[in-house]
Amino acid sequence: MKTISKDILKKAASKLLFDMTEAQYTLLEDEFGTLLSQMDLIGKIPDIDSVAPMTFPFDTGTAFMRDDIPETPSPVTDILRNAGHVEDDQIKLPKVVG
Amino acid sequence: MNFEAVIGLEIHVEMNTKSKMFSAAPVTFGAPPNSATLPIDLAHPGTMPTLNKQAVINAIRVCSALHMDIDHQLWFDRKNYFYSDLPKGYQITQNERPIGKNGYLFVNGEFGPRRINITRLHLEEDTAMQHHFYDYTLLDYNRAGIPLIEIVSEPEIKTGKEAADYVDKIRSIVTFTDISTGKMEEGSLRCDVNISLRPIGATKFGTKVEIKNINSINNVAKAVDYEIARQTEVLLSGKNVIQETRRYDDALKETVSMRLKTDSVDYKYFTEPNLIPVKLTEAFVADAIATCPELAEAKYARYISQLGLGEYDASLLIASKETCQYFDELVTLGAPAKIASNWLNGEISGYLNKNQISIELFPINASRMAQLLKLIDNGTISNKQGRDLFARMFESQQDPAQLASQLGMTQISDEGALLEVVTAVLNENAQSIADYKAGKDRALGFLVGQVMKRTMGKANPGLASQLVKQELEKR
Amino acid sequence: MSYLDLTIKEIHEALVAKKVTPLELVKQALERAKANTDNAFEIILDQEALAHASALVEPEIDNLLWGIPYVAKDNFSTKDIPTTGGSNILNGYVPLFDATVINLLKQKNAILIGKTTLDELAMGGTGKSGHKGKTFNPYDKTKQRMIGGSSSGSAAAVSAGIVPFSLGSDTGDSVRKPASYAGLVGVKPTWGRISRYGLFPFAPSLDHVGFFTRSAYDAAIVLASLAQSDPNDATCSQTAPENYMQSIGQSLAGKRIAIIEEIVKSKHRPEVIKAFDALVEQLKNDGAIVTIVKFRRDLLEAIFPIYITISCAEATSNAANLDGIKFGPPTWGATYEDAMRQARTAGFSELIKRRFVIGSYALLRENQDVLFLRAQKGRRLIVEQLNNIYQDHDLILAPSAPSIAPKFEDKTDQLSDEYLIADNHLVLGNFGGFPGITLPLGMLNDMPFGIHVMGRPFEEGLVLAAAQSIEKHTGLRNIIAPGEVNS
Repeated sequence: MKTISKDILKKAASKLLFDMTEAQYTLLEDEFGTLLSQMDLIGKIPDIDSVAPMTFPFDTGTAFMRDDIPETPSPVTDILRNAGHVEDDQIKLPKVVG
Repeated sequence: MNFEAVIGLEIHVEMNTKSKMFSAAPVTFGAPPNSATLPIDLAHPGTMPTLNKQAVINAIRVCSALHMDIDHQLWFDRKNYFYSDLPKGYQITQNERPIGKNGYLFVNGEFGPRRINITRLHLEEDTAMQHHFYDYTLLDYNRAGIPLIEIVSEPEIKTGKEAADYVDKIRSIVTFTDISTGKMEEGSLRCDVNISLRPIGATKFGTKVEIKNINSINNVAKAVDYEIARQTEVLLSGKNVIQETRRYDDALKETVSMRLKTDSVDYKYFTEPNLIPVKLTEAFVADAIATCPELAEAKYARYISQLGLGEYDASLLIASKETCQYFDELVTLGAPAKIASNWLNGEISGYLNKNQISIELFPINASRMAQLLKLIDNGTISNKQGRDLFARMFESQQDPAQLASQLGMTQISDEGALLEVVTAVLNENAQSIADYKAGKDRALGFLVGQVMKRTMGKANPGLASQLVKQELEKR
Repeated sequence: MSYLDLTIKEIHEALVAKKVTPLELVKQALERAKANTDNAFEIILDQEALAHASALVEPEIDNLLWGIPYVAKDNFSTKDIPTTGGSNILNGYVPLFDATVINLLKQKNAILIGKTTLDELAMGGTGKSGHKGKTFNPYDKTKQRMIGGSSSGSAAAVSAGIVPFSLGSDTGDSVRKPASYAGLVGVKPTWGRISRYGLFPFAPSLDHVGFFTRSAYDAAIVLASLAQSDPNDATCSQTAPENYMQSIGQSLAGKRIAIIEEIVKSKHRPEVIKAFDALVEQLKNDGAIVTIVKFRRDLLEAIFPIYITISCAEATSNAANLDGIKFGPPTWGATYEDAMRQARTAGFSELIKRRFVIGSYALLRENQDVLFLRAQKGRRLIVEQLNNIYQDHDLILAPSAPSIAPKFEDKTDQLSDEYLIADNHLVLGNFGGFPGITLPLGMLNDMPFGIHVMGRPFEEGLVLAAAQSIEKHTGLRNIIAPGEVNS
């Protein structure tokens, strides 16, 4: 069974670009314990690996594709109205390096 | 110790469809920032991807040109990572099932054409543009979501020259199929090089270095050549090549370290649940291929076998799609292929070079040009007169035929009229006749020249020469 | 007695007969909304609703939704109206476009009077985790019992008699469970039956647009308005819908109903099972053929971890756009990463963050085989089992929950070992996209409990018919939480 340590959890959270409190990591560790042991049970289901993973609720396909006709774009003021920092009609961020 | 280079190329091509890959916003170049976007391009919550049919058709065409196996089911994946230019926090791409696999093209190798296998071709979307300033960055989402195809070669390329040729062949395909402008300088064709060295005959791969930021086909060769030399030097001095990403610096003409390749990023790929698999019928695929604009290879073959052009001339024409387009138009308008090709590769090419423009900006349209060529070809005017007229056609919008007659520029091709002149010239140049009879061939040229002089250059030179010879025989 | 307490069908008749106007209905709905203390609303839209209602003068006879007030869960994009998804990370976000379903209802001249509370980003089942705090169950005036989630506010608004229908979303039971706790008809149609364009995604392969009404016929009315193809949603079906208002009238005689033994035998309040059994007898008398079928226990016990793994994995990816840069409260930092980190740390609740970590972990390359992909395999096995059942049966019937609405202190969104099949089987409908409806089965201690009927993909008509038959037997049609309405 995979084991979880707080370090692994902290690394994962960090990669997701947020921080959590120490108490939350403890709680999460418990939750993981539960989840992983439940997933282990799934691993014991006899035919589990004999089937392909299922992404969609039913195996269906479509022939539909969008015609290449452009829509009228949103006015610049609209598209930027929710952004916290705007300059020169562009969204402003701290300098991006690399 | 001799090393061989192991080179693979990853090329991204920006498609010139009217709308984006998964968004219906218009595809634009150089538009004012954020003026060509829809909420989906800024990843507004609740927006959903829809697949652009033309992008699929384009991809099928390129797959076909590269002799690839085409997947008749389109599945998409999410490539998850955070970056400032990636609005959704993931890119929709095709990781598991690229639309094309197992293709190839031929490059000009050291000893002749060499086959380079192509691993995969897949559809994905472009990122936003960033403009960096001193202590901030600005984001323009016009580019976010523009359709891209990514083409990945097997690591079978060996030299800078081959690499440049490979990129050029891809460029030719994507421009001739009309799916992209294929300009590295503008970013519509981007090339990343993966290169490592190993001792000749070794099977294990050396440490791989990635080179980015190459902005022209010439620089592909330069970057590769420089990097081969650099890595050779490192290895020969007993050191290890560092696994890293480098960029080609055009000014220094060197590759420069950009960043070390740390642990390879885990993109947590999984199937995109908002795009149910698209089933392509055999008819759809076949139609996409059948209706594809003619590729360079096909034009080349046609120019030679059907239009009678020589290999060299044909190869000059196919260097650019726009040149071929112009040529094809001339031929359609009745200009004979040979003269059209000669002028395109000659006078017109000269003009374009001198004025540093491309043929799309050439001021004389195919219709007037075709007229001019026909006038020359059917003998109405001479070649020299033609070049004269050509020069004037830049200032005047008149038809060449009109211009020619205005300038009194008609070639004398009437045998009777010319014969009179020939007879007169011969009568006045008895010494030249004697010289010719004595075996001095130069005298012939002199006599023909006199005919040209007397007609003020209007005599049809071929005919004049023929008539002079004919009359000389009689005397 | 107010017209607002009637079903859509009945209100429509009153509107056509000009006994009441849309403006009067909306005014009353707004009053009730403001007086309500169940914390059902993110925002009440008086101005917009009154303006819309004032403009509706001549009733459209064939348009059953004309002039009918409704509310929508705050994870539906509404143009120019703030939409938060129940999360601080979207505070102040004002969308530029309407979700397709919002647009369809606008075209029908149904009147949106407010956006309702939800578990944050729809990721919860208690109604506790939204950024506005707990949403209460109108049936429990002591405010000890939950209404469930994640479509908490939408359920509360209908069961409190504020509006006769509301929009919600159902990813793991988020419409059908609260419907069960609140005495409502809760509909989750087939996956792809209703366009999800404009619905903030939680887990797209499990997400459904759903809705609440107080009668089965009303559910047919709403479904008929929303079930159509949409080029903006590539997963929305192009199959033409049935005429639901007709198919709802079909008899259950000869229809084969399956009851999954392991579900009914799992722990329920005895009163629930008693009512269930009695109802089954009544359906048999109607001519339905009811059979007990078996379902692999190991698969049923795997439902919850499969659901958590798949839904959290998809969710963590969906929420990667929430970074404070394009929308949300402004953020800054030394680097762009700092800016995003600041926004996401402050904007997401602790529960959501834990869910995202779980999801992200399940997707790591080294873990996918035993976590994410295995969960997807489990999903296939489960759906295959269900499809087998549907070879020989038309409907699956079960109690919708073990009991009445739990008390807040008794139920948590935290993952625990304690596991009840009875509490977790509704998500079977999400795994396979099967259409399911919950409706009231009985009352216990003045709290409603419910029954769930589920059919084959795209056979909503039959499921509605079953619901209506059940409704006839229980008599629990159009029930409103007592003490909510003024005469």
